Amino acid sequence: MKSLRALRLSRKIMMLTGTILILSFGFSLAQDAATGSATATVQTIITVTATQALAFGNVFQGVSKTVGDNVDASSGIFTITGQAGAGVNLQMILPDYMALADGSDRMTITFSTTDAAVDTNGATPSTVVAGDGWVDQNPRVLPAAAVVGAANTAIYLGGKVTPTSDQAAGAYSADIVLLVAYDGT
Amino acid sequence: MMGIAYAVLVLSSLSGYAVSAQTVTSTNDLAFGNIFPGVPKAIVKSSVGDAAEFTVTGTTGAEVTLDFTLPAYMYTTGANMPLFFSSSDCAVDSTNPQDQSNPSANNLNPNGTITYRIGSNGMSVWLGGRVVPGLVQKSGSYTATIRLTVAYTGF
Repeated sequence: MKSLRALRLSRKIMMLTGTILILSFGFSLAQDAATGSATATVQTIITVTATQALAFGNVFQGVSKTVGDNVDASSGIFTITGQAGAGVNLQMILPDYMALADGSDRMTITFSTTDAAVDTNGATPSTVVAGDGWVDQNPRVLPAAAVVGAANTAIYLGGKVTPTSDQAAGAYSADIVLLVAYDGT
Repeated sequence: MMGIAYAVLVLSSLSGYAVSAQTVTSTNDLAFGNIFPGVPKAIVKSSVGDAAEFTVTGTTGAEVTLDFTLPAYMYTTGANMPLFFSSSDCAVDSTNPQDQSNPSANNLNPNGTITYRIGSNGMSVWLGGRVVPGLVQKSGSYTATIRLTVAYTGF
């Protein structure tokens, strides 16, 4: 009897052992998963608008005319909006000539290395100073450190036309292009 | 009595081979921060605080597989933004201490199964990525879910 009880107890323990073995095996195949996130905050879209044309008004044959970047009524003005404080790349593409609509004549236009100002502080062409951004800038190499101002950023542009002595009469125009992009800073 | 003694011996032997369940925890999100429309941004896996980090615990020396479920886009209400993971955007370290800047296994492909062994201090898994916002990407907060599944291989 003692031997039989011992045998039964032994079987029970061995069954328990088997169960533990199965449980252990189960753990070895278990898996776990964790969920994390990718997060990002996309900033405001950048825009640029040609707010005001660089207007030379009436020009006379043989008489060159200059419009500064500090004339409220006639300086060229571009307005940039976007994420305040974000760095921007500014690239201005300037024409060499203005032309009649029918292309029959053209007139030289030039830009000096101080014909642009960058205003990030809401000033105007006539009031902008260095503390508002950058003045007397080369429009072909605008400041690399330019940013979008709290309200916006304005680019003021001047230039000079040089009509010939036999310049054909009429309305001349040319495109001035300002490319603006975030630089990621 | 011999049978009992034998059974107890087996139990003792089994406890020596017992394998503890592994766990994986997300300890840091993949954080791109501010993104500007039209300007792609990458977060490298070694960037502390920006790269995604998962912590794995389990039996020292046990081999595990790591399988990511990676999103193709991040989302905000009404818009999405492409999200990419290159074939070298993952790193794993099971040394003690773990070093995100010099992991024991670097430039791993998170787009496939990664097999590695758990160290005495567990294992850390880091993940980088790259977002490519459009020129007129809608502003706002974007999120996506990254899932990491860890399983013992039995080896």
